[in-house]
Amino acid sequence: MAPATPFNASEITEKARRDLLLLLEGIRGKKNLVLEKALAGPLNLLVKFSTLQEYGVDKPFFLENDNVDASQRNVVFLVRGEKANMVMKVADQIKRIRRESEIEHEFSIFWVPRRTIVSDQLLEDAGVLGEASVSEWPLFFVPLADDVLSLELDDAVSDLYLRKDPTSIYLAAKALMLQQRKHGLFPRIMGKGDNGKRLADLLIRMRTEVAAGEPSSNTGPSFLGLAPSTTIDSLIIIDREVDFPTVLLTQLTYEGLIDEVFNISANQTEVDSSVIGGVAPQPGQTGSASTRMKRKIMIDSKDTLYSDLGDANFAIVGSLLNKVARRLQSSTERNSLAAKTTSELRDFVARLPGYQAEQASLKLHTSLAEEIIKNTRTDTFTRCLEVQQNLTSGADPSTQHDLITELIDRGTPLPTILRLLCLESTTNAGIRPKDLDAFKRAIIQAFGPQHLLTLQSLEKMNLLTPRGGATLAGGTGSSVKPGSVTNYTPLRKTLRLWDDEVNEASPNDISYTFSGYAPLSVRIVQSIIHKHSLANTIKPPTPGAPLSSNPLAQGLRMFEDSSKYIRGATFNEVQTGNVSQKALKARQMLSGHGEGGKTVVVFFLGGVTRAEIAALRWVGRKLAESGGEGRGSRVVIAATNVLTGDGLVDGAIEKGVFKA
Amino acid sequence: MSKPTANWEKVGDKFYRKIQLYTAVFDQDLELENYNVVGAPYSGAVAVYRDEEKLHTYRGPGVAKSSIDVYSCAGKLIRSINWDKGTIKGLGWSEDEKLLVVTEDGTVRCYYDLQGDFAPFTLGHDSDQHGVVSCRFYNTGFVALLGNNHLISVASYAEPRPKLLAIPPTEHVVSWNIIPPAYSLSRSVEVILAMGSTLYVVDATEAEDRNFDAGPFRHVSVSPRGEFLAFYTEDGKVWVVSGDWSEKLSEYDSRVKTVPKDMQWCGSNAVALAWEDEVHLIGPKSAATKFYYDTWVHLLPDVDGIRLLTNDVCEFIQKVPDETVEVFRLGSDSPAANLLEASSLLEQKSPKADDLIQLIRPNLAEAVDACIKAAAHEYNIHCQKSLLKAASYGKSVLDLYSSDDFVDTCDTLRVLNAVRFYEIGLPLSYDQYRRMTPEKLVERLTNRNEYLLALRVADYLHLPTSQIHGHWAQQKVRVSTDPEEEICNLIVKKLAGKPGVSFEEIARAAYDEGRIRLATSLLDHEPRAGKQVPLLLSMKEDTIALDKAIESGDTDLIFHVLLHLRKKLPLASFFRVINSRPVATALVESSARDQDTDLLKDLYYQDDRRLDGSALLISSALVQPSLSQSLDKLKLASKYLSDSRDPPAVFTRSAVDEAQRLLQMQTQFDKDLANARDIPNQSTAGTSLIGLSTNDTIFNLIKLGHQKRAQKVVNEFRVPDKTYTWIRLRALVAARLWVEIEEWGKQKKSPIGWEPFFNEVLAAGNARVASIFIPKCTSLTVSERVDMWVKCGLLVKAGEEAHKAKDRELLLSLRDKASGSAVVEIERLLGMLPQGRR
Repeated sequence: MAPATPFNASEITEKARRDLLLLLEGIRGKKNLVLEKALAGPLNLLVKFSTLQEYGVDKPFFLENDNVDASQRNVVFLVRGEKANMVMKVADQIKRIRRESEIEHEFSIFWVPRRTIVSDQLLEDAGVLGEASVSEWPLFFVPLADDVLSLELDDAVSDLYLRKDPTSIYLAAKALMLQQRKHGLFPRIMGKGDNGKRLADLLIRMRTEVAAGEPSSNTGPSFLGLAPSTTIDSLIIIDREVDFPTVLLTQLTYEGLIDEVFNISANQTEVDSSVIGGVAPQPGQTGSASTRMKRKIMIDSKDTLYSDLGDANFAIVGSLLNKVARRLQSSTERNSLAAKTTSELRDFVARLPGYQAEQASLKLHTSLAEEIIKNTRTDTFTRCLEVQQNLTSGADPSTQHDLITELIDRGTPLPTILRLLCLESTTNAGIRPKDLDAFKRAIIQAFGPQHLLTLQSLEKMNLLTPRGGATLAGGTGSSVKPGSVTNYTPLRKTLRLWDDEVNEASPNDISYTFSGYAPLSVRIVQSIIHKHSLANTIKPPTPGAPLSSNPLAQGLRMFEDSSKYIRGATFNEVQTGNVSQKALKARQMLSGHGEGGKTVVVFFLGGVTRAEIAALRWVGRKLAESGGEGRGSRVVIAATNVLTGDGLVDGAIEKGVFKA
Repeated sequence: MSKPTANWEKVGDKFYRKIQLYTAVFDQDLELENYNVVGAPYSGAVAVYRDEEKLHTYRGPGVAKSSIDVYSCAGKLIRSINWDKGTIKGLGWSEDEKLLVVTEDGTVRCYYDLQGDFAPFTLGHDSDQHGVVSCRFYNTGFVALLGNNHLISVASYAEPRPKLLAIPPTEHVVSWNIIPPAYSLSRSVEVILAMGSTLYVVDATEAEDRNFDAGPFRHVSVSPRGEFLAFYTEDGKVWVVSGDWSEKLSEYDSRVKTVPKDMQWCGSNAVALAWEDEVHLIGPKSAATKFYYDTWVHLLPDVDGIRLLTNDVCEFIQKVPDETVEVFRLGSDSPAANLLEASSLLEQKSPKADDLIQLIRPNLAEAVDACIKAAAHEYNIHCQKSLLKAASYGKSVLDLYSSDDFVDTCDTLRVLNAVRFYEIGLPLSYDQYRRMTPEKLVERLTNRNEYLLALRVADYLHLPTSQIHGHWAQQKVRVSTDPEEEICNLIVKKLAGKPGVSFEEIARAAYDEGRIRLATSLLDHEPRAGKQVPLLLSMKEDTIALDKAIESGDTDLIFHVLLHLRKKLPLASFFRVINSRPVATALVESSARDQDTDLLKDLYYQDDRRLDGSALLISSALVQPSLSQSLDKLKLASKYLSDSRDPPAVFTRSAVDEAQRLLQMQTQFDKDLANARDIPNQSTAGTSLIGLSTNDTIFNLIKLGHQKRAQKVVNEFRVPDKTYTWIRLRALVAARLWVEIEEWGKQKKSPIGWEPFFNEVLAAGNARVASIFIPKCTSLTVSERVDMWVKCGLLVKAGEEAHKAKDRELLLSLRDKASGSAVVEIERLLGMLPQGRR
């Protein structure tokens, strides 16, 4: 493929890596690195610690621990500069070191992803700006897999929906803009959700600003940059607000469950070392090496075994593992017996390391799966799942209340309970005020009075609201008007959100990711790029009719029809740039791209779950098989962060308790 | 026409040429020997100022006023900067033609254009006490030597951050120089100090003695790319050492008693020594040639050669490029030379031309290339032409030849000839032009206010013109005396349809000039909202600035404006400003939550947002250091809501009240339990109950055996029966109070059924007690109950259960699981079943 593939993961990784190492190179001698905890994960993904050492990093410290010592003359801070309190922490530590240390230090601050005016101002007020050399590390997208890019903004959800702070929208726009400048404009920006609309507007705005800021006659890349891309088909923006239930449900893919049970951050998960006793230590960890009880494991899509397992429904993971185990066993045995001639033997030996790696990975995943099964076997888990399945399949929510109350009484962890309640609220446009009050009381009694604040926050996020009445607490989206809540009842039918005949072993629909429920967010994407198949799933065609003749699949009908029931603004912008249509056509002809090879970028504002990633990958595979349905067939998933239901409600949970 | 080789000099086996660039450069009255002269890199401007250490004739009071004069290479005065700020200890240029002036007290002025605007900064590090002795400049920064031998390095002028280098010994510095960071081995600036008879190399971390003993070295010079170092010893010798200090390459004896006043590299191959009116050029292997002048001569080193400046002439000495040598060398029989010859024969209409071409036919392409390159390096327009003609002729004979280089060279030469014209005075060599890039050339022209030429060049080379227009407009608003409206219209009209021009910068120029109205109307034409913000703020258009910041979507900008407003406005008007702007309010709220809760409190009060206000009080209650203070805050929160009839407010209020009651009860219990600590079986006590939820309080109380107190809590908070049962069960199990559970099991009914009892007890590992509850689970099916027995390990009991239900299949499956005596028992039960359908 001659022109660069847009949103190429390795390219983005390489650039971020180079940028950072260049910055580090600029500081002579050994240095202590102080980094924000949230950046440890992305950093580890991009650069091995040994590489950092080659570039003079002596010891890493976490900013949050406030323990950087005076052992090196150079102190480098690597911190996100968007939040004022982070800036203040940096200022305080510089002041502390200056006060305590006997030698003179050189301070450098690398702001991620950009240097802000406010940070300068705050540092100046604190009297440290003059002492530190300030630069920026433009780290936007962090590739988690070849087709998954994340901004790794862990606070994005609570910022966007609880505090209504649009910083992450702006950063997302910047990140997407960088890609646009490289690969050309997104020919079409579509999507759903008020914040999504804001992002789309911002992108269009930035385009005109770039056009204004950039010299007109610059030849080459930037000229192309203002023309629609020939390799990207479109950008689809999904605002998380549009579809909270999908996040709140327990993910049932293997990767999703690992995330739910052990929590994955930046492709790393921490597992109790007893679980995976015999696995060789994973190389390339940054941060504290002294994980006594916990052990960090790379969850890596480059691992062949895992790439098969990760997106599969957990129900079949056992049999998959079994199959691999058998194959490994038989291949090693048969080979060792049959290897008679030397050439065969050499062949076998050459493959041995591969087998060993596979064996190790098999062992790891078997023990992980066992640990997860322990979890899924518990009463709480099955009961939660029962409630979830009932709610999503459209049962009367009040029938589930007894079960939920019982779960509270059993002492089930708060996030699990909140997820169930929020699920009910979001799928049914609120909970009946009387019931809601009862639940609120029960939660406060069960988990402590501080959760009064938790409940208020959830209401502000529109996750837990009384039905019908105006929402409370300071006018966040006043009364029920069309488009202010998602109405699942008609959607269940028009988009077939519930699938009774789900096939987990060989999936025929995205519903396999939740064993029945088809995530709404992915359905929206499907209604744009995968509409023929979706139409046929929803309304099986009469036999004999051609595949593409389903009336539902005409134009954007399906997308527009369903959008009516989904909250938030719908948008559909075409970007033509400054180039005439004719020139565009000509360029397309020249670059010789079939329509099929184009990339569709799906951006999740406010986070994406691993199950959704799996579902979208499935869609991508289907598209590739059928040749693209007139749009792109490579699906790249980008998001502000990767999210689980616990993470979503966690933003609202009040952490403080009353102290004696 | 003189021959091209007329100005060539042979130094060793290499040729050098001395090109006369301009004549009658300076006024004859200017006593150049009393002046310091520094030239900007890439044949840039020349700054001249009077050397204060030298005597000069008194010419009346008016003339004595000192100034720094900036000339073009052709001697055209570009700008004269009046100077009364103290003794100049360092004067230098950066590669983008910024003029740096360092005074004795460590103040640095960076004149960023040639118009006299400057940005000042100070060196710090006690430079004002010890005084700056001298400075050495490189492309993007400089190093200053202080009186106490401390070295201060500045690496960039955009954000100057003077850094102290490692501290060298305090001996007298005979001479010194620097290796620019781009060419040093350590990638940071290195300083070579000649002290005593040895040399020190100083960088950011250490000062290293190089252990020389041939000093003192009177001059130290570093070749343009740092690959060679040259030293001038006391006894008149020049040493050349490789840049990595590994070997001494040559030694030249000047045989002159007086120390030269300057030693500089001429490109990377030769060293020039300058006495008052004599210049020695020393090539590799110690070969040398000498030039003599009538007047004082100054050396201005450049990347690929050296400029010599006297009152009369400006000359450029460089190594003759290889291609030029190939073409013009006497008796050269290279293909290129033959091609040139053929072309001139052709002009004379001689048939020999073709013979020559046929002769060099196999190497023709090479010859054409050489001619093109030689033309590029040529200063003489006539030579350029004949070389290009030769190339063109050769090209026409070739079947296939890419003409890109030819076209490029023609374009470049046209530009070079234009800027070399004496009125412009930029005598760029081809190499300098390539290295400087055409964009920078346009910038230099713009800075010299040569807008027309700049535009022509930019158009000709297809470069962006926005900067030129912007610069022009800024200059316009600064100097024009027309009515403001007219200026604005003129600028807008001129710049219409020319994207990339920053109206913000123009408006700022107008604002700095005090033309506020003009600035405002110009700013309206800036399409980038974010760009407008800082200027709007300095123009005190705060609310517009806020709106523009919000429009840009950049939260950083919004915060910036908000911080500014917060400092400036009284609270009430601050709230009024943000109230109508939801994004601003949200940002104020979210940032104040971390830093300034008082502000938030006022905001909620102002807006009458009682629920939020109470929430704020509750969260502040959570962080109070003592419980009584927490309770006070909760009371306040409750009072805050007392007027409201809103259902959520009522709910919150009752919850807050309950929280207070709970905390009070917990305190009481804590006290009671502390008194009862000495009672046996209370070893687990000692942890406080405070902060626990209602349920957890009950749980802990039961676990500790305080049934009565637990009951009190249940009654107080009306805990539902089911909930209480669950809590009690879990607590008893956790405390392993099996007896009590058994006792409880004797009751007839349980609000939650008996199955949970079985599960919880079994999960805790007590199969015996768990089994008690199996018969009580009457709502379950037989097989489920059988399973329960099996889980307890009581297969016989399971068998009995199955037997009771007369389920043969179940019994059979049980037999398979059983072992030992249980098998016999089950067999027996099986036997007791009627044989039925077998």
